[in-house]
Amino acid sequence: MSNLLSPANKVVLYMGNEAIARGALEAGVNVACGYPGTPSSEVVESLSKVTTERNLYVEWSTNEKVALEVAAAASFASLRSLCVMKQNGVNVASDFLLHLTASGTRGGLVLVTCEDPGALSSVNEGESRYFARMLEIPLLEPATFQEAKDMTKWAFELSEKIHNVVMLRSVTRLSHASGNVICGRLPAKNSKAHFDYSGSMMDPLRGPVVSTPVVPKHTIQQKKLAETANLFEKILCNYYEGPKKPELLVITSSACYLYSREAIGMLGLQKRVGILKLGSTWPLPPQLLKKHLKAAGKVLIVEEVLSFLEENVKTLYAGCAKEIGVKAFYGKNDGTIPSVGELNPDIVAAALGKIFRIKYKPVADDYAHAMQEIEKIIPLRQQTFCAGCPHRASYWNINAALKLDGRAGIVCGDIGCYTLGALTPANGFNTVRTSHSMGSGTGIASGFAKLDAFGLKNPILSVCGDSTFYHAAIPALINARHNNANLTMIVLDNSGTAMTGFQPHPGLCSGASGETLPAIDIAEIARGIGAEVAICDPFDLEKTTAQLTTFMEKADTVKVLILRQICALSPEKKGKKKYLMKVNEELCRGEECGCNRLCTRIFRCPALVWDKVKKKAVVDEVICAGCGVCYSICPQKAITKTEAPPQ
Amino acid sequence: MRQTRKLSSQELLKKNVLDAGLCTGCGACVNLCPYQVIYRDRTVQLHSCDLSDGKCYAFCPRSSTDLSVLRKSLFPQADVTPEIGVVKGYYLSRAADSNLRERAQHGGTITALMELALAEGLIETAIVSSSERQVNVPVAIKSKDDLLQNSQSRFTVSPTVATFHEIAAENIAKIGVVATPCQALALAKIKTYTDKDASLKKDKLKLVVGLFCGWTLARDKFTELLKMNNIDESAVVGMEIPAGKGILEIYTPQGNRTIPMKEVENCIREACRYCVDSTAEYADVSVGAARFGNDWEEMRKWNQLIVRTEAGSDLIDLAVARGVLEIKEAPSEILKELKKAALEKKKVAMKNIVAKSGRENNLLYLNSNDSLIKGLLKRSGRKK
Repeated sequence: MSNLLSPANKVVLYMGNEAIARGALEAGVNVACGYPGTPSSEVVESLSKVTTERNLYVEWSTNEKVALEVAAAASFASLRSLCVMKQNGVNVASDFLLHLTASGTRGGLVLVTCEDPGALSSVNEGESRYFARMLEIPLLEPATFQEAKDMTKWAFELSEKIHNVVMLRSVTRLSHASGNVICGRLPAKNSKAHFDYSGSMMDPLRGPVVSTPVVPKHTIQQKKLAETANLFEKILCNYYEGPKKPELLVITSSACYLYSREAIGMLGLQKRVGILKLGSTWPLPPQLLKKHLKAAGKVLIVEEVLSFLEENVKTLYAGCAKEIGVKAFYGKNDGTIPSVGELNPDIVAAALGKIFRIKYKPVADDYAHAMQEIEKIIPLRQQTFCAGCPHRASYWNINAALKLDGRAGIVCGDIGCYTLGALTPANGFNTVRTSHSMGSGTGIASGFAKLDAFGLKNPILSVCGDSTFYHAAIPALINARHNNANLTMIVLDNSGTAMTGFQPHPGLCSGASGETLPAIDIAEIARGIGAEVAICDPFDLEKTTAQLTTFMEKADTVKVLILRQICALSPEKKGKKKYLMKVNEELCRGEECGCNRLCTRIFRCPALVWDKVKKKAVVDEVICAGCGVCYSICPQKAITKTEAPPQ
Repeated sequence: MRQTRKLSSQELLKKNVLDAGLCTGCGACVNLCPYQVIYRDRTVQLHSCDLSDGKCYAFCPRSSTDLSVLRKSLFPQADVTPEIGVVKGYYLSRAADSNLRERAQHGGTITALMELALAEGLIETAIVSSSERQVNVPVAIKSKDDLLQNSQSRFTVSPTVATFHEIAAENIAKIGVVATPCQALALAKIKTYTDKDASLKKDKLKLVVGLFCGWTLARDKFTELLKMNNIDESAVVGMEIPAGKGILEIYTPQGNRTIPMKEVENCIREACRYCVDSTAEYADVSVGAARFGNDWEEMRKWNQLIVRTEAGSDLIDLAVARGVLEIKEAPSEILKELKKAALEKKKVAMKNIVAKSGRENNLLYLNSNDSLIKGLLKRSGRKK
């Protein structure tokens, strides 16, 4: 049984994302949906495992906007719903979110955004706290695992109180770390969906759900938000700890609260510094802020990414400065806290050190020196494709086709493991020239392909993953076709949302909870749009390269090449080798003219190792996934493959 | 200070040959390693290789070449003419088999010689250009019927030397190659390569039959020209440049078409502008059309034949003895005309080379200390 179903009062070790999921279950959530994205995926994933027990509908939606629409429908039908995404997912959902916050909601709707300061597994350091302020909805930021659960549960109640979306923001260090949580009660399962639209347009619970009349509804929304600010004055997740009259007040939230507390301890400043820890960061509770600002002469705001909290605190302070006196503010705006990247206790300690003129060294000198010495001898570990990764073979083919074509084709990239194709030849394949948001590669390619009239004659290509294809690339492909932007789109179809952990997508015949669903074929969609379509196995190098060069030469239509091969780490493939690979040392020419280490110098599968002593390539059997591609590239046929015994 | 790294062979190939427009597409740098391939008629470097002293650059007919050294080792005793290289014998020739002559471009000499070499076991495989117009890849041939199918000229280059590398790596001991001048030069460089690399099966090269060649066509440009003239490239079965008419004849099942030579000349491969060899001077024997003056219709079914090496001489003797080849003494005015045409190509090439390098002491791939080249430079310089 999933530990998400643990009984009340039991202490359970939950990952932050599981704590959020448990909170939703304790709130009696009926619908949970989202689009996978690190560090958010485990919320929906863990809920997908308890659908039967908790009378829950869980889906991986096509993209974040659709996910929010699905969640909104449940809310309109008076059910509670949870919608989960990563920071940039909120951007995708934001158009609908603007209108949803204007129309209002019924059943509690909580939008969970798990964000990635420092871009540990993102190509952006985006932040969605500003959406809460811009769209005038409450924003909650739990700091601990217990809070993650408790605040999620409470967010549903708040949502129903104000008839609007409540946003709950987590960060990587909360979502992906684990801690003890005391479970609450799981409610009875007796929800019934009912969508009432018989009332007047102004009736939030019985009228049609629309954002018009805009101004009156906007007025109500703002009134509810003001009520929320009052409510936030007294909630348990906003609290102060420290001396009555601190020299410095730290205002913080989220994981930064823990960093701040630790940093104060490290510098022994417990008697001089107080912390105002906020669990609700929009709207700010004015009285609580005023009271604590008044008590201290100096104020440090500790937060990650942008200076959202700092700006809001300063705005609020400006309104009461006359009353509470002059304060010195420290934070991102004056450079005390770095304005990019993740924070940690050392960074906060360094900031406190600056203010209190305490020399702070995170590690002793000899330790730092030893670290420097060790760094010189630690082998460089580069980001690269896994052993057996279809993308390595795909880029091998794409590269060959580009070179053979000889017209400097431009490849526009997209979001997935294959973004590594933008890296230098040593790591990725130095093939991808642009990389932005999901689906954008094909949109940009569509634009490039229309620039031939201005002298940009290069063939234009885009790469796009299978999940990305459904998520946002289809409108771009339609755009290309309709506008005669005759690009070649390469769909790197590895049969799942691989980078985030093999969540299913519309191309597969199973849903989030393993239920059977109709699969929607990429080739059929592309053909329906009018593209010329071919499907190749990227491991078949000769055929794939030939198909791609043929496509690049066809200037009169949009081409879609689907490169289909399951991810090496997928549950159906992982640990199962198709071939046993071996290097015949007698045939291996190593560094000689005629080979010059093609496999370990250019192809660079992690399973191929260069034996410096023997001067031969070696297959690391432990790492090798048995895909057999190196057999095809070896000019000497020194790499042999034999069918692996069935497992 | 900027550090100047020694360029790898592959980088030299790129800088001095590919980017310089000197690549002939012969395929000498292909099939030796995974780094160079031929696509259509272009040499493509797929990945970077950092080795120096690589065979790719060493075998390239457009990497720096001391032709005098090459001549000394290939033709130890023979006299050299400045226009058409070493001549041990010069004849008009044709295949004795009239069927074969019907199907061949001219006298059928090459087909007859390769057929004989195969039949007598002098070679096990003959490498010739394929007759598939669209592909134009060289094919390795082991039987007479295959040879006949591929006995038409096509005026576009095929990577014959690449095929030699490929076939030589197989379990075949004796290989004969039909080669253009640039390909014959590459094969000569391979034959005289001194490095002891066991994987290089240069001893398998038993026979090089050279083709006279004025130029070849760049594939992309020529394809475009055919398209502009509404000629279906895939339907072309043969081409000919009849003497003195200033046209290219194109044979298709729907009938013959012609394109003015002026237009065709725009499609000539750039590398051919720098070529000083029109008679395949580094082959064992060289064969060409007898494309002269008023006697065209009568002459077109004969070949000119230059015998250059001992092996070449033996082959011709055998062919005559077996009755597969008819030879006759060529009138002296034909030899004169051939020499005149060959010299003209050399002079034009020298002029183009000097124009490209900007200096008379930089002759790109040619060695300016070679006495023959020196003489040539003088003659081309005089006639500006």
